[in-house]
Amino acid sequence: MSSEFDQYLSTFIDETKEYMSTLNEQMLLLENEPDNMEAINEIFRTIHTLKGMSGTMGFSNMAKLSHRMENVFDLIRTEKIHVTHENSDLLFAGVDLLEKMTDSITAGGTDESVDISQVVAQYERVISGEGMEEEPVEKTKETEPEQDDETGSDSPIDIPQEILHVLKQGKDTGFKPYYAKIKLEEGTLLKSARMYMVFHKLEELNSEVLYSKPDVEKIEDEAFDREVEIIFLSKLTEAKLVQAISSISEIENVKIFVLTVNTTSGGKKMDERENSEQAIEKIESEVKNTPVMNNSDFIQEEEAEASRRPQSASSKLTRTIRVDTEKLDTLMNLMAELVIARSRINETLKKYEIKQVDESLAQLSRNTSDLQNIVMKIRMVPISYVFNRFPRMVRDLARKNNKEIQLIISGQETEVDRTVVEEIGDPLVHLLRNAVDHGIESMEERMKYGKPSTGIVRLDAKHEGNNVVIDVQDDGKGLDREKIIAKAVERGLIDEMSAAGLNDEEIFSFIFMPGFSTNDQVTDLSGRGVGMDVVKTSIENLNGSISVESEKGKGTKVTIRLPLTLAIIQALLVKVSNLVYAIPIASIDSTLNLPTSEIQIVQSREVVVIRGEIIPIVWLKEVFQLSVDDEKENIHVVIVKVGNKKFGLVVDGLLGQDDIVIKSLGKLLKDVNEFSGAAILGDGSISLILEIANIVHQNV
Amino acid sequence: MGKRVLIVDDAAFMRMILKDIVTKNGYEVAGEAANGLEAIERYKELKPDVTTMDITMPEMNGIDAIKKIKETDSEAKVIVCSAMGQQAMVIDAIQAGAKDFIVKPFQHSRVIEALNKVTG
Repeated sequence: MSSEFDQYLSTFIDETKEYMSTLNEQMLLLENEPDNMEAINEIFRTIHTLKGMSGTMGFSNMAKLSHRMENVFDLIRTEKIHVTHENSDLLFAGVDLLEKMTDSITAGGTDESVDISQVVAQYERVISGEGMEEEPVEKTKETEPEQDDETGSDSPIDIPQEILHVLKQGKDTGFKPYYAKIKLEEGTLLKSARMYMVFHKLEELNSEVLYSKPDVEKIEDEAFDREVEIIFLSKLTEAKLVQAISSISEIENVKIFVLTVNTTSGGKKMDERENSEQAIEKIESEVKNTPVMNNSDFIQEEEAEASRRPQSASSKLTRTIRVDTEKLDTLMNLMAELVIARSRINETLKKYEIKQVDESLAQLSRNTSDLQNIVMKIRMVPISYVFNRFPRMVRDLARKNNKEIQLIISGQETEVDRTVVEEIGDPLVHLLRNAVDHGIESMEERMKYGKPSTGIVRLDAKHEGNNVVIDVQDDGKGLDREKIIAKAVERGLIDEMSAAGLNDEEIFSFIFMPGFSTNDQVTDLSGRGVGMDVVKTSIENLNGSISVESEKGKGTKVTIRLPLTLAIIQALLVKVSNLVYAIPIASIDSTLNLPTSEIQIVQSREVVVIRGEIIPIVWLKEVFQLSVDDEKENIHVVIVKVGNKKFGLVVDGLLGQDDIVIKSLGKLLKDVNEFSGAAILGDGSISLILEIANIVHQNV
Repeated sequence: MGKRVLIVDDAAFMRMILKDIVTKNGYEVAGEAANGLEAIERYKELKPDVTTMDITMPEMNGIDAIKKIKETDSEAKVIVCSAMGQQAMVIDAIQAGAKDFIVKPFQHSRVIEALNKVTG
């Protein structure tokens, strides 16, 4: 059985994960609005579905826990208990365990590695504590053994006087009194619902059930084994009744007798009981032997219609498919190779200027760029995949720190490359923890400074050109410039004299140095001195940049910029000496051709003035220590933007724009920070891709 | 040609399981729906011989869907799918006109028994 289910596993995991994120979302909503019926219902539904799914997969721990949770939520739904600050933790604990089990299953394990006993016990306490008032659970247990005794025997049942009275009256109106003994199949689930079907069926047949043993309440509570005896009135024959009742699923057998009522004695008497039983046995066998009848005309018509229908049904069904991410990665790689190949063909054929080829080449170029765009889009996922878990995390952290914090998320629909989504999680966790732990002050402190007691942490994502920009902002105490300087001096990163000349941005950038932490107190979450430098490294590994702005007493804002995609970028190819370098288009502002005489010296720095703006310039051949040609009359300047500032890079020539595929420089060259990678050009040669921000920082 | 089944469940996973069970036993899947509203539309469009209906679903639950389907086709044959512990809901569903119920996790034999009985 289980091997048969293996094929379902990945669907199970995918869908369960979606449900987990729904659960977390709705739980948070519920905690803030304990009476939010919509949230309660959504949670109930989700847990219910999870229960069914996990049961089907044979994950019994998961099914067990979700069953208890469902019970608890049923009590909440029916307003027997209310969500409070205290019990919401218990509810969250269940969600956490479900998540753990999902993770374990995803990792190839089972749900059994997670210990649910404690939480299940707590839920049971909640359930039974509540159940005592509403439905006496104890009673159910008491009645059960007694129940067995009774139903096990064939002893005639006692009929209350008032029912006898009705039976007598019924006789006059054409209704015959019947006694029936109905036995369910072994292992029948939801016995009371099954038994209800019997009652329902009799009702449909205009029969009236007068009495049942055990009584209706016990049947509803499932306080019976497998047999129920009833007395009812009906105008139908015994055979019809047996047939009707045996048509219900999971009925092992039915016995029905006509009752004759002796009004003088206190009890009932079953007439010709033996005979009836035989008769019924006969009818039963007849029912079993009757083949399921089909009208052949009907079938034919059906076949004709069926052949027309399925297509329309399946075509409408789904608009999305699930694809293994590995396949997408392969697709992206192939795409990258294709881009390189195209460039090479372009390069080779350029020399010959064949008109016919030019046309088809142009076509090929258009097609590959379209294809490239689509492949990129396929890989894009909304950043909400990462953001979704943060409300829960911030809530937990805030509670732990005894702070009140509101997390405002915006731009969660912003789409980014899947790789970015995978990598950005941890850095963001770190930044949010910092904001909650160190950024936002304690409630008392906030009151003292006249701030609202609830701190606000904002998480925002947006597109900006070829970048996605993520801001993590808090309205807390802000960075302490003096403290940072003191620490920097203490660590010998800077001397006091030069510290005075630095602006805020430069001072704050010290927090990204390895081992730099100004927080004296180490919490279990952050402030261990490892942190911001790790964040910076991870962001840089994604070809991104990170910056921080802060105002004392007002708050801190950390801004992360990441390229939309990590594999293919547009670049300007430039010549320096006789080498070709690539500058990412995304960081280029403009290009200029200037007379060399326009270079001016301001504060011993070379600058050019463009439209009144003073722009420092960097000679790339000096940076790379390449042979210096003779002075030319004109220089080519590529104006680049780093943050809000512009810089000019002096190159020897502009070669043109191209799509390049970024290849890593490898581990050996990981300390080279002037280049973010290399690219293979159309002619097969290799070009290094400039890491603009680092080049500018080191040379201006 | 087997009888045509419309499978209604909000979890794609459960639909997959049911689809497998019914097709392996000579039934044909007429279509699927992921909530009550969809179920009603699919029902009108496909006129299946029998419908398996989950109870707890978003948009519209299975019980309301059964009622609506019964309004358009009083002969509609619906089997409700329920997880354990949902007696009350199953009873509601039967009142609404469901012909039988099956309980998750599904036992293949029970599913087939229910389908056979209801379509027989």
